[in-house]
Amino acid sequence: MSSWFELLTDNFDALASGFWVTLRLVGASFAVAVVVGTLVAALRIAPSVWLQRLGGVYVETFRNVPLFILLIIAYSGLRRAGVPIGPWTAGIASLGLYTAAYVAEVLRSGVFAVSRGQIEASLSLGFGYPQTLRRIVLPQAVRTVISPLGSLTIAMIKNSAIVGAALAINDLVKEARIIGSRTFETDAAFFWAAVGYLLLTVAATVAFRQLERRYAISR
Amino acid sequence: MGYLFDPDNWEWLVTSNNAEFLLEGFLVNVQIATIALVCSLIAGLALALARLSRNKALRFVVGIWVDVWRNLPLLFVILYLAIGLPISWREAYENAAPEFLPDVLQSGRVFAALLALVLYNSAVLAEIMRAGIQSLDRGQNEAAVALGLSYWQRMRIVILPQGLRRMLPATVSQLITLNKDTTLVFIIGIQEVVRHGRILTGFNFFGGVPAPLLQVFIFIGLMFVVTNLALSRLSRRLEIREQKRTGMTVKPVSGLEDQVTTVQAR
Repeated sequence: MSSWFELLTDNFDALASGFWVTLRLVGASFAVAVVVGTLVAALRIAPSVWLQRLGGVYVETFRNVPLFILLIIAYSGLRRAGVPIGPWTAGIASLGLYTAAYVAEVLRSGVFAVSRGQIEASLSLGFGYPQTLRRIVLPQAVRTVISPLGSLTIAMIKNSAIVGAALAINDLVKEARIIGSRTFETDAAFFWAAVGYLLLTVAATVAFRQLERRYAISR
Repeated sequence: MGYLFDPDNWEWLVTSNNAEFLLEGFLVNVQIATIALVCSLIAGLALALARLSRNKALRFVVGIWVDVWRNLPLLFVILYLAIGLPISWREAYENAAPEFLPDVLQSGRVFAALLALVLYNSAVLAEIMRAGIQSLDRGQNEAAVALGLSYWQRMRIVILPQGLRRMLPATVSQLITLNKDTTLVFIIGIQEVVRHGRILTGFNFFGGVPAPLLQVFIFIGLMFVVTNLALSRLSRRLEIREQKRTGMTVKPVSGLEDQVTTVQAR
């Protein structure tokens, strides 16, 4: 056991940098997922059937394709096609767009949880459709979706490992692999990486539980 | 866009047996998913029952076990088991693997992949099943006790048939995630669909003219979309049927990627 602590202190910089890379990857992808997810959710509840279908196609495509395949398409596929895309761009875009499909579904169900009367009242008060969405529906919808968004964040932290494995990004798993193959202490290296991931997922769980306690409205 | 839809770039699909080659790979994914699902259902049920047992120590230990495997990245577990499992275990699997399995699945590397998939998915399914069992009315169990049924009789006759049926839609949703996750075993060198795609697009395959990578992987992605869409339709249908039959509303189980829902009394 003492050698395990030694491995941690000896390779702390590498593990910390991997942790930081994973954190940045998740943070950036989360931003992409929320922005794109909101747009897609808006499409899915738009007053036009064609826009709704467009949103539906987006959700069904990105939700049913494996993230790993998405990463290969976004990086190797585009590069082979002559688009000079970098690993970070491809990674953040893939993880973000993939999660955006789930975010859109969560937001949509949140919007449907807002009663119709609210929307009718707002429209009759003279708000336009976009205004109704922005000022009346979304503020209420957001509060009902805190808990599912927390689930998605945790899934995202776990999925970020796939990005590191598919592309040239040295995240926590890859750093653990490098340390493991250099020192032949695979168990210890992977143990500390596991601790890193559990720290992230537990932190996300606690943070979202706090948010929920503060803002959530139960329906 | 011109590049994407250029017929020259889709020609590989109809030349020689490329499409068939990809389908063969996809079949391996489906087989891995099926085996992993069956094992995960059994292990998940055991874990769920242990989490609901009256023994406090057992509940605590299993709770930690489930939470740890549920919160680790699956890819991380696959990699660790592929590197970290003793070689003797793999050999034992190779010797024990039944003859009727396809050759690809008889390799010892598949053991690490299957074990990882089962460790992860059994933890997830245990949570789903627990939520299903707990959503039952307390009276069901109390009535069964009053009728003089033993623990196993209560579970077998009263609790599980109702609790698990409620969780069927959620289980099918998890199967979609599992199906997608099987692509990850590419990392440890199993001959499945991603590997087959890589072979098709690798240089020097047709004397130096590889199939275009973008198109091949879009095709692979479409195979997953079609299969998973069918599964998600099934899940939705089961959910609606269950709602009609029991008049229950749905409530989400936390910590899962897909918005897996449990059925709960209004």
